[in-house]
Amino acid sequence: MGNCLSGDVKGGKQAIGGVQQRPTSATTAIANNAALNDAVDFFFRSRGQYPLFSQIELTLSASNLLDCDITSKSDPMAVMYLRKKDGKLEEIGRTEVILNSLNPSWIEKITVSFQFEVVQTLVFHVYDVDTRYHNVPVKTLKLKDQDFLGEATCVLSEIMTRPNRTVTLSLTGNVRAGVNRNLGTLSVLAEETVASKTVAEINFRCVNLDNKDLFSKSDPFLRISRIVESTAAVPICRTEVVDNNLNPMWRPVCLTMQQFGTKDTPLVIECFDFNTSGNHELIGRTEKSVAELERLCLQKEAVNFVYPSLSHGRKKILKGQLIVDRFVEKVQYSFLDYISSGFELNFMVAVDFTASNGDPRTPNSLHYIDPSGRSNSYQQAIMEVGEVIQFYDSDKRFPAWGFGGRTSDGSVSHAFNLNGASYGDEVVGVEGIMTAYASALRNVALAGPTLFSHVVDRAAHTASQSLSQNSPKYYVLLIITDGVLTDMAGTVDALVRASDLPLSVLIVGVGNTDFRQMEILDADNGRRLESSTGRIATRDIVQFVPMKDIHSGQVSVVQALLEELPGQFLSYVRTRNINPVGAPAI
Amino acid sequence: MSYSATMKRSLEIEVISAEGLKADRKPLKRKTYSVVSIDQKYFASKPDDLGGSCPVWKHKFDMEMPINGTVGFITVEVRYRTSGGAEKHVGYAKIPVTDFMGGFAPQGHLNFLSYRLRDEYGDKCGVVNVSIMVKPDRSIPVPLPSSSFAPCSSQAAANNHMWRPRTSSSMASTAVYGGGRVVTGVPVWCAYQRPA
Repeated sequence: MGNCLSGDVKGGKQAIGGVQQRPTSATTAIANNAALNDAVDFFFRSRGQYPLFSQIELTLSASNLLDCDITSKSDPMAVMYLRKKDGKLEEIGRTEVILNSLNPSWIEKITVSFQFEVVQTLVFHVYDVDTRYHNVPVKTLKLKDQDFLGEATCVLSEIMTRPNRTVTLSLTGNVRAGVNRNLGTLSVLAEETVASKTVAEINFRCVNLDNKDLFSKSDPFLRISRIVESTAAVPICRTEVVDNNLNPMWRPVCLTMQQFGTKDTPLVIECFDFNTSGNHELIGRTEKSVAELERLCLQKEAVNFVYPSLSHGRKKILKGQLIVDRFVEKVQYSFLDYISSGFELNFMVAVDFTASNGDPRTPNSLHYIDPSGRSNSYQQAIMEVGEVIQFYDSDKRFPAWGFGGRTSDGSVSHAFNLNGASYGDEVVGVEGIMTAYASALRNVALAGPTLFSHVVDRAAHTASQSLSQNSPKYYVLLIITDGVLTDMAGTVDALVRASDLPLSVLIVGVGNTDFRQMEILDADNGRRLESSTGRIATRDIVQFVPMKDIHSGQVSVVQALLEELPGQFLSYVRTRNINPVGAPAI
Repeated sequence: MSYSATMKRSLEIEVISAEGLKADRKPLKRKTYSVVSIDQKYFASKPDDLGGSCPVWKHKFDMEMPINGTVGFITVEVRYRTSGGAEKHVGYAKIPVTDFMGGFAPQGHLNFLSYRLRDEYGDKCGVVNVSIMVKPDRSIPVPLPSSSFAPCSSQAAANNHMWRPRTSSSMASTAVYGGGRVVTGVPVWCAYQRPA
C-alpha cells in the first residue's frame, strides 16, 4: 500500500467493456469468452456429453467494502471460482479493477455454464489490488500479492431460481486477525447470454458539457448501462477519460448484442467527470436505445443531457449535448462459424528429443521406455492432447517432427521427421504419432541444444505456403517439451516472424521443470514478444499448457488446450476481414 | 540484372496506429502524425484527432519502391507539431524490406507489422502498427485463369501437386493474389543484398 501516497490514479482512465480490438493488438482475451466456451462445448457435445446446460453471464457489484488503502479507498476486483467435488477451487473469471471505490459495480461479466443436474457452488473472492499492479492485465495478477477483502459462497441454481435472478451475499473471511467487523455485501445478477453475432460500433462526441472542475475543465467519460426489468441498470461499458475537455470525442465504442440486449432495450448513457478520488461527478444523463442511437446518427441530431434534480423530482435539461458521429452495425462470426463453414484447422506436432529429458533407460526419464509397456510422460501427453487436436483437425494427418536429437546419420537435427522417413513427415491420427514417436525413440539419441526456432520456421513455412495458395486454412504447431530452452532469443525471433501468419503455437510442458521461459513466450502478461531487430509480434500466437496442471485436475485437457486458440484464430481472421467460407460479406 | 535498376514495386502502406507513445518517459498528450519514407520520398499522415499516447491514424497510401537492392528499409517516424509550428520527433522505426517481401510473406499478402519506436537517444518510446501489401506486378501480363487456377510457370505446370499443401519448397515462389488470379513470383528479394 506504500504507493498510494504518490497518487492512486495510475490507470483507471482506460475504457472498459466496449473497446474494439485494435488491429494488430495482442490483447485478444476480451470478448472471446463466449467463443472459447463454444469450442469446448462443441467438443463435448459431439461426444454426447453435457446434455443440458446454458451459458449464464454474472454481473457483480458490492457495497460497503473494507477500506484497505490509507489515503484513498480500496481498489476492488472480484474473482469467481467453482468449487469442485474434491473441494478444490477452479477459477472461472475475474472482473476489472475499479479504482477508489467501496461500492463498486463491475462492468466485466463472468460467464459460466449452468448445468441443471449438477450443484455448482460458486465462491467469490474480493481483493484490493495494489496501485503498482494497475495497468496490468487482471488475468496475470498474482492474487496472493493482493489484499483480501472477503469471500462469499452461493449455489448457482439458487440465483437462477430467484424471481429477479439476484442474490446479495454477506462477505466473510479472516481479513484482519481478531477483528470481527462488517465486510460488506456482494450482489450477483445472473442472465442468460444471448447468442447473437451483431455488433454495433458507435462513435460518441459531446459538446458544451458543464464544467465540474475548479481550476481546469471537466475530464469526461461516458458510462453505458442497460436497464434490466428486475433491478436497476447494469453497466455494460465505459469509455476512456478525455482530459480537460468540454467538447470531448471518444474512441469508437463496440457493443455486442450480448451487452445491449435487443435494439430496443433502453440504455442509460451517463457522462461523468473523472475524479481521482473515485467520486466521479455526474455531468448529465440520457436514455436511448441502440435503435434510437442509430436514428440520431442518420438524422444528424443531437440529444441534450438532463440532470436529475433532487428537489422537486423534476429534471433539469442541460445545454450539454450527445452526438453520434458514426453508427455501424456489423456481424461478428464466432470460431465455430468459421470451422463449420469449412475453414480447416491443421495441426503439426513437434516432440522434444533433447538430453534434458533424461536417459530413456532410466525410470525417472520423461522418455523412459518402460519394459512393462506403461506409457511415459510424453506418451501420456500425446494421447491426451492428440484426442483433442484430432477432433478439430480436418484430415487427421499430422506432420510430426522431433527436435534436438542425434539422428541415424550422426548429426544433431532440430527438425527431423518423427517417422524416420527422409521424405514425407505426415502421420495419420494419434496412433500414427505414437508409432512414429516409439520408432524415433529407438533410432534417435537424445542430444541438444533445445532450439524451437527450426520447428517454428518449418511450421511458418507451411503456413505461408497455404497463404500463397489462398486456401482457408489455419495451422497449429504443437510442441511437446520439458521446457528447458537454450536459445530464448532465437525462439522469440522465430515466433515474431511467424506472428503474422495463420499459425498458433501450442506448447505442452511435461515433467516438473521450471516453466518460466515458457510463460514468457506465452505473453499473457500483455507484453508482446519483441525480436532482436525491434519487430514486435503482431499478435499473441503462443499458448503454454503445463501437463501437471491437467493431471492434478485443475483444468480439463480440452479446456486447457482450447483456452486461447479460438481467440488467436479470431484475431487473425478479423483483422483481415476474412469471412467464413460462403458467408456474405459484412 | 541490368533492367532491375528501373524495376519498381508498388506498395500499399497503411499506418494504423501507435501505442504507448512517450516523450521524456511521460505519456505523450500531443496530436501526433506519422511519416513514412522510402529512399528519398516520404508521405505524412494526417494528425490523430484525439491526441494522446495511443493515436489511431488508419491512413493508407501507395508508394513505389525500387527493388534493385538499394532500398533496405522503410522508415516510419512519429512526429507532432508544437503550437509554434515547429516539428518535433517522437521516435522512429526501421522496417526491413525482408519483413514483407520474401521470407514468409507471399506477394499480395497483407502484412500486419508492429515495430518498436526509439527516440534519438535510442530509448524505447512506444510501438507503431502498420500494414504493408506488395501489389502484384502489373507490368507482366497476368493470365486470368479460366478455371479456378492456372499454373504460372512451366515448373509449376509440370507439377501436378501444386494445389496440395505442403509439397516441396519449390512452390514458395509462386503466389496467388485475390481469388484465383495467378501472378508470377519474381524472386526480387534475392536481389536485395546490401553491400556490407
